[in-house]
Amino acid sequence: MNIDTIKKEFPIFDEKIQNNDLVYLDSANSSQKPKVVLDRINEFYRKQFSNVGRSVHYLAVAATNLYENTRSSVQKYINAKDKNEIVFTKGATEALNLVANTLGQTFLEPDDEVIITELEHHSNYVPWHFLRKSKDIKIKFAEINEDGDVPIENIEKEITDKTKVIAITHLSNVTGSILPIKEITQLAHSKGIIVVVDGCQGGPHLKLDMQDLDCDFYAISCHKMYGPTGLGVLYGKKKWLEQLPPYQGGGGMINEVKKDSISYGDLPNKYEAGTMATAQVIAFDQSIKFLESIGIDNVIEHEKKLIEYGQEIIQKNNSVKLIGNPKKRGGVLSFIIEGIHPHDIATILDEDGVAIRAGHHCCQILHDKLNIPASARASLGVYNTKDDLDKLNDAINNCKKIFDLK
Amino acid sequence: MNLKELYQEIILEHGKNPRNIGKTENFNKDAKGHNPLCGDSVHVYLKLDNKNKVEDVSFEGSGCAISMASASIMTDLVKGKEENEVREIINDFLGMIKINPNLKSKNLNDDEKTKLMCLSGVKQYPMRVKCATLSWHTLISAIDNKNEEINTEKFD
Repeated sequence: MNIDTIKKEFPIFDEKIQNNDLVYLDSANSSQKPKVVLDRINEFYRKQFSNVGRSVHYLAVAATNLYENTRSSVQKYINAKDKNEIVFTKGATEALNLVANTLGQTFLEPDDEVIITELEHHSNYVPWHFLRKSKDIKIKFAEINEDGDVPIENIEKEITDKTKVIAITHLSNVTGSILPIKEITQLAHSKGIIVVVDGCQGGPHLKLDMQDLDCDFYAISCHKMYGPTGLGVLYGKKKWLEQLPPYQGGGGMINEVKKDSISYGDLPNKYEAGTMATAQVIAFDQSIKFLESIGIDNVIEHEKKLIEYGQEIIQKNNSVKLIGNPKKRGGVLSFIIEGIHPHDIATILDEDGVAIRAGHHCCQILHDKLNIPASARASLGVYNTKDDLDKLNDAINNCKKIFDLK
Repeated sequence: MNLKELYQEIILEHGKNPRNIGKTENFNKDAKGHNPLCGDSVHVYLKLDNKNKVEDVSFEGSGCAISMASASIMTDLVKGKEENEVREIINDFLGMIKINPNLKSKNLNDDEKTKLMCLSGVKQYPMRVKCATLSWHTLISAIDNKNEEINTEKFD
């Protein structure tokens, strides 16, 4: 597949949005969907629909096989050892809540410490905060440096003999910083510490190799990976998923139910209570195939060029300041304009058909640290081009004109 | 209505140089407001005299041009008015910003109405309506002595 013509695979770019061609720079929030994914959802509902894992009729068996196919595809895509290490969830948020909750139930004691970073999305902070309230654990924040990176030393500094978990992002959704997960995991494992990775931005932008990273848990957001909404993946090492208790109770996750006792099902059913997002799971297989057909190395190369180009033009633009200057930046260009609030920027850019996000991007800790209430964020996907970034720059200039800035 | 009409001179000017910024000396009522979606925040301070007239009013806060301009114009307009007049103006403004085409209040003169109507453009931008209404909801809260922070998510 030719990366330069990839936009054609996404039907939304055939639409006029408020009479403009769409310049979509909000993929860190959610990516657009290729036709293959949309068609698969439609086809499944029209021709193949049934619930999975319950009935013995033809459609139920076929749907179950399709559902399990995606599990195998994900396993291969992220290089997990076992397909039962792949758990489908409502989203990456649920995946992270599942890990925090079940570790909290069994593994964490009062005064135990969890290290997160100042870059974390609220999804990788609030679930641990629940344990701070309910189990009296401590949360420590590894600090960012002036470039917006979290060097491994800043994590090492926070480790004590009470540290049980390090929960960190793979790629910051604000600064674009890529964290050295492999090295952090080596350090953590040498001290018996569990590593949980928020892979929401890692999923679409980086090569996912669980054997290489060796982390214990990795949370994926499918809708940021050109897949449907309402779906996430939790990768967990088998030794943990077998040991930890179920997260939710209901149909599908049990083995035997009696009036005085209940036994739970085996992996992965143990963590998939109730009717799952069946069509989404089945369509997500197409997202994986789509990414495989381009090749993640080509995606990385393409986005690297765009990021470099974007940094160059934004840095040249007076009064626009990029947030962070990470050693390795992926997918994201956040910025502020002196004298214009990010919400005004976003509204004015929208009028030119340029869709960005403004706000704290669910990272209030980071914005507090940077001493700014909000930022504007342009984030990339495989479909973006240099032309999109030129239009971003033009729209920024228009914005400055309205606010009478040079 | 287009973008130029939303970001017109008077809004940009009030947004850049908001009036009545700071903490009113000897204020006897105050309230905080917050928009959790975007992080905008405002703190309104009010001094009512013994006849329930607004002797002074001010605000502190941070936010976009729309929210700062709205707070600035609001504080300018309610100064010197009686509490019941202020309530009536707030209701009229909130009605206008959501559905009504015009302001009906008898407590506003034409010049004041023209100023407020500058904010009517946000109607076309549903995501921005709460930027314009935050300080107004907060002012009601201050008048009513409700000791809870206004959260824009709790309003239509």
